[in-house]
Amino acid sequence: MTEKGIFQRIKKDWVIYLMLFPAILYFSIFHVIPIIGMKLAFQDYRIIGDNIWVGMKHFEVLLSSPAFMDVLKNTVIISSMKMIFFFPIPIILSLMINELRNGPFRKYIQSVVYLPHFLSWVVIAGVWISLLSPVDGGVNVIRNFFQLPSLDFMTSKDHIRWVLVFSEMWRSAGWDSIIYLAAIMKFSPALYEAARIDGATTFQQMRFITLPQLMNTVVVVFILNLGFFMNAGFDQVFNLINDSTISKIDILDTYVYRIGILNGQYAYATAASLFKGVIGVILILSTHFVSKRLTGKGVW
Amino acid sequence: MKKLLVLIIALVMLFATACSDKKEDAKVDKDGVATIKVAYKDEGPSNPVAVSYFDNLAKKLKDAKDINVKFELVEMPQGNYAEKLNLLLMSGDIPDLIYFQGGDQQIANQDLLEDLTPYVEKSEYIKDAMLPHNVDRLKNYPYLLWVKPLDSKTPVIRKDWFESVASSEALMADPSIENYHTFFKELVANPPGGAGKPANAVTVAGDISELDFIFKMAFGLNQTWLEEDGKYINSKISEQEKAKLTFYNELYEEGLLDPQYLTKQWDTKEEAFYDGDSGVIVGTNGKIIDIYNGKMKQVNGAEAEVVVLPPAKGEFQGFNATDITKESRGVAISSQSKHKDTVFEILDYLASPEGQLFDRLGFEGEHYNVTDAGYELTEKYYNEWYSRFWEPEAFETEKPLVTPLLSVPAQESRDLANEYYSADNNFIIPEEFVSKWDAMENIYKDFSADVITGKRPVSDFDKYVEEWKKAGGDEITEYANEQLK
Repeated sequence: MTEKGIFQRIKKDWVIYLMLFPAILYFSIFHVIPIIGMKLAFQDYRIIGDNIWVGMKHFEVLLSSPAFMDVLKNTVIISSMKMIFFFPIPIILSLMINELRNGPFRKYIQSVVYLPHFLSWVVIAGVWISLLSPVDGGVNVIRNFFQLPSLDFMTSKDHIRWVLVFSEMWRSAGWDSIIYLAAIMKFSPALYEAARIDGATTFQQMRFITLPQLMNTVVVVFILNLGFFMNAGFDQVFNLINDSTISKIDILDTYVYRIGILNGQYAYATAASLFKGVIGVILILSTHFVSKRLTGKGVW
Repeated sequence: MKKLLVLIIALVMLFATACSDKKEDAKVDKDGVATIKVAYKDEGPSNPVAVSYFDNLAKKLKDAKDINVKFELVEMPQGNYAEKLNLLLMSGDIPDLIYFQGGDQQIANQDLLEDLTPYVEKSEYIKDAMLPHNVDRLKNYPYLLWVKPLDSKTPVIRKDWFESVASSEALMADPSIENYHTFFKELVANPPGGAGKPANAVTVAGDISELDFIFKMAFGLNQTWLEEDGKYINSKISEQEKAKLTFYNELYEEGLLDPQYLTKQWDTKEEAFYDGDSGVIVGTNGKIIDIYNGKMKQVNGAEAEVVVLPPAKGEFQGFNATDITKESRGVAISSQSKHKDTVFEILDYLASPEGQLFDRLGFEGEHYNVTDAGYELTEKYYNEWYSRFWEPEAFETEKPLVTPLLSVPAQESRDLANEYYSADNNFIIPEEFVSKWDAMENIYKDFSADVITGKRPVSDFDKYVEEWKKAGGDEITEYANEQLK
């Protein structure tokens, strides 16, 4: 499209572009301009006077820290678990909600699954700690009913990462399914009608019509999610961590918070953020190009 | 397309520049009135009590000292105060008077905080108001001032339950570790509140630091760095620590220590106490014990007034050695302030008899009334008022206080804390060791939690010590020996 064409299009649909403007402004202010501030990773910050360039000092401290490899390992494990076990859930949920024909019941189910998204992690942590309590928590009451011994999930090194995965699932599966539901809405009803005439069952329609068409969205969401791979969930871990599980769920973000933010070492914290960001970009680009080559589908 | 991109970027940059453009300092003295900018937790312009406090303070300063000031309060965003304050200061906006609750070292390292030693030496009231731990802390770190009582925590139990336990008298007469153990056992075996009340003897919020206020010194852990054969070792890798963890494990296995202590927060801990699920909790002496006492009586009646328990007696006795490296919170004066002397004069006035009356009792007619008998504190005082600045031990008023500042148990907890005061020998961890110290702390937390909850045997102690040393313990121990010799 020519430049003239673009301006003509903007002039014609200026109301739509006006609606887009706040989003552009938001991303520019909070996501683009701060990239300039990333230079702080290579400086010692001075409140009064010029910052001092220190090269890779903060990266060297970060990478040589004894705890760094442990928190990096925890971050990768937790993110991988979430990616493998959580990522498919919103897709399955959207397929299931799509099959619900009863209007009010469908709305009720949607409201119930979206609701946890609006709760803060402080509240969710309280709910899950109560739910998993070894004394009177609901989960252990059920275990005891089946003659199984109580488990202290919140302090168990073997279970705590699963608590993170399932609590994330509980909070976000409904909300994340919206994007897939929106994609499903635009699929042509003619395809389903033709399939029904040919005698396709509901499951076959899902398997051979909905899923293949949904793959494009799935691939894009998957690749974009990889960009946040190193964000294993600060708020969630911060609220669910305790002395007994610190070695299993202390992640890069909580480590940076303690060393960088609480101790006011902002340059160090910036170096860690940059490290995370670079890994995210590498993951996005490599997955995009691999996906493009294998399936012909990518982010762009 | 390029033109469009250039246009968008130009607009965004223009907006960003407009936002980040620093305003000229508007703090201009008019008619000799100095504007003092104050950053203080919860004392922003949206808090009417804070506004009234500083307005009143300005009037009193004018009348009593002929100090002509106007206070400009900074509205701090909600959330972690230390974090938000640091962001404010890092942006270059530095108030004259700053209250810190952590994060001050980074600012002091950049020479942005005034050394308060000469001011204190020249002061009329503050130097006499300072408590021994304040003096030590100012000597080690001269940027923060916080004349407040010790913040040691003391254990409490409701009185009616305490008196119904047969071993309580023996505990008070001789608070040995064994007598504490017996008392805890009896409290759970013969629950004074009926079945499951209490279900466990003691609960703590999230980690063992509160339990340490009762038992740590009795196990011989009277300092952070213990002297052994002429060398200092960290108490966390000592044999005494091993014995302490073994004891805590016993408490846990016997159901005396709350099995859910690791997931307890301060609010759920208090709830367990008021509901009778736990018999003993540990809280900061003075005002916090006052709150425990008030709430306990409100929930369970006047007979449920709390009793303060003594620290366990063993090799030593006390509520932990007090960290005197620096004040963990307090007020500082900006080295960039144009009114440093005036700010300190204000701080000194607050330590004077007149300043103390105002800071500690509030507004006359609102928080207290003056009668022939003396000063009578109102309900509003107990609900709303707290001293913003200094609370020295001695508080003498012209007329007597008809109603006490603290309840009897709260005052007892404060007296006990003072009685068992001892200074620690720890030091400020240098910046280059911060990440190693963090790793060592995590190793300790992980191991201690595992031993107490029975996930690891205490016989793994030597393995833990090796791990701790490898994570930086050897280097920091070497540094400690240089510092402490």
